[in-house]
Amino acid sequence: MAQRKPVRWHIVVFLAPAVLVYTALMIVPLFGTLNLSLFNLDETKTRLFVGLANFATLFGDPRWSGAFWNALANNAWFFLVHMLVQNPVGILLAALLSSPRLRFSAFYRTAIFIPTILSFVIVGFVWKLILSPIWGIAPGMLDAVGLKSLFAPWLGKEEYALTTLALISVWQFVGIPMMLIYAALLSIPDEVIEAAEMDGVTGWSQFWKIKLPLILPSIGIISILTFVGNFNAFDLIYVAQGALAGPNFATDILGTFLYRTFFGFQLQLGDPHMGATIATAMFGIILVGVCFYLFAIQTRLRRYQF
Amino acid sequence: MGTLNLTKVTKSFGATDVIKGVDLTVNDGEFCVFVGPSGCGKSTLLRMIAGLEDVSSGDVMIDGRRVNDVAPAKREIAMVFQSYALYPHLTVRDNMGLALKQAGVPKAEIAQATDKAAAMLSLDALMERRPAELSGGQRQRVAIGRAIVRRPKLFLFDEPLSNLDAALRVQTRIEIARLHRDLGATMIYVTHDQVEAMTLADRIVVLRAGRVEQVGAPMELYNNPANTFVAGFIGSPQMNFLNGEALGLRAATVGVRPEHLTLDRGAGKLVAKVSHLEKLGGETLVYVVNPTHGLITIRLFGEHEFAVDEEISLNYDENKLFFFDEDGQRLY
Ligand SMILES: Nc1ncnc2c1ncn2[C@@H]1O[C@H](COP(=O)(O)OP(=O)(O)O)[C@@H](O)[C@H]1O
Ligand SMILES: [Mg+2]
Repeated sequence: MAQRKPVRWHIVVFLAPAVLVYTALMIVPLFGTLNLSLFNLDETKTRLFVGLANFATLFGDPRWSGAFWNALANNAWFFLVHMLVQNPVGILLAALLSSPRLRFSAFYRTAIFIPTILSFVIVGFVWKLILSPIWGIAPGMLDAVGLKSLFAPWLGKEEYALTTLALISVWQFVGIPMMLIYAALLSIPDEVIEAAEMDGVTGWSQFWKIKLPLILPSIGIISILTFVGNFNAFDLIYVAQGALAGPNFATDILGTFLYRTFFGFQLQLGDPHMGATIATAMFGIILVGVCFYLFAIQTRLRRYQF
Repeated sequence: MGTLNLTKVTKSFGATDVIKGVDLTVNDGEFCVFVGPSGCGKSTLLRMIAGLEDVSSGDVMIDGRRVNDVAPAKREIAMVFQSYALYPHLTVRDNMGLALKQAGVPKAEIAQATDKAAAMLSLDALMERRPAELSGGQRQRVAIGRAIVRRPKLFLFDEPLSNLDAALRVQTRIEIARLHRDLGATMIYVTHDQVEAMTLADRIVVLRAGRVEQVGAPMELYNNPANTFVAGFIGSPQMNFLNGEALGLRAATVGVRPEHLTLDRGAGKLVAKVSHLEKLGGETLVYVVNPTHGLITIRLFGEHEFAVDEEISLNYDENKLFFFDEDGQRLY
């Protein structure tokens, strides 16, 4: 007697709210953007399906491609600074915080995390003020310790501006890797650490040989979060340098490039179709990065159960 | 070599005194078991010996050297933890070899030492696995292997069997006893299970609330307990404590072991009602209730049948009684 299973409606009913909300807020806009990038306006301002012509323009037209590659290279540098400074410093801070001998660790933890919850408007503006050669306190402070000669208008020089902004962003967000790594370090059982103590694996060698391998999965997660966050970054640059991402586009990243193109800025007219094209390219870059992480890196990282 | 001396050792966590002055000598090659109820400070005492916990006052000496301020790794001690505490990211081989590698021992020697330990514990086939791929019993053997490889002066075990099932516990217990004979090393073993203590120990240290209640060989503690605590803790099922005055004896409390009570149809010294029966095949435990003495356990050899609420009468041999004063100290 083959009895048919009843349709399990409750699964559909319980999934529906999440699926509907996610579809309305994420899937529809995503496909809307992808779709928009395939259209453009002709001379008579009528919408026209152009296939991949917008992408040909973006990558082929020297004016567009120059700006795009500049933004991409800047963005890559922005990401690299985070990977080389923010994450190692975050790990180091977490390692120090988890040391049982450190006093006031709750205070340090909070103090380091606070910039993360500050608005980017405040962060951008405050750092602009600090670093300003005219009314900033940085020149005065350097002068006080006799290092005035080291001062430069960091945000105003093409060669320094992007790195300076990246470091400001590092200052703001270093609390996140710190917290994640701190949590990962706390999840290592005390007895494993004590066994290492008994085995003579102490201090830094304990960190390298025992703790670091056990927190690698968390470091992987942090790397991918940093990647996605950096390639979507926009706000700090916009607040500190404006949509033109000066000086001379030295701090222009994909986010600001997209903003200028999509909405227009000063004399430049907004072009939703080219904007959508850039957004699609950004989506593709992030997708490739995330896939690379998921398939090439995460599958090789072991997660440990204690 | 591996002699341990504790002199007036104490430990306080803030205002709470956990270890309240312990004096103890563990001789070279001895198997010493710390036993006591949960929370009495066994682990703390063991961790103080290991160096994982600072000593508040007193001296810890290993082979005559004061080691209070010596780092754990420098004390030549190995410890086996209750949770095994294996390194999850290392293979069995690397788990066992890490201490030697850290000490800069040549690779060939490490391989030789780990192979030898693996052979002793029949871990040969598992050497390239990681802890996650092992069963509980195998993990425990790896943890023991990790301790052996270092050739320590002193082995410390903190309730190593409590995460294993009953059959495996017996098997591993035998294995540890054999290991002790083969290595001839000094071992200190912590447990709350008096059966483990009785079966493994050369000498048992009974602890209560941070104090040593009695030290002695298992049969010494069984036949000659110093107070009601030790008398009740050693031996299973627990010793019965009867009211001495009600029995017309010159002691506040009289102890009699369940195996020393006999049934006497009609003419016993005590009358009681059967309240519960546990038939274990080889032996039968009869729980009876007497209005003045409370619950009394009787251990009978072989199979017996009683009805609940049946009245039975008990007898005991006066020579097998233990007499205690009001404070629970042994009189004679
Ligand atoms: N780090 C600590 N801080 C405060 N109290 C502790 C600490 N470690 C253990 N204790 C206390 O010391 C007592 C003995 O603990 P422990 O040695 O683990 O007992 P056990 O005999 O069960 O192994 C317990 O009451 C416990 O609460
Ligand atoms: Mg314990």
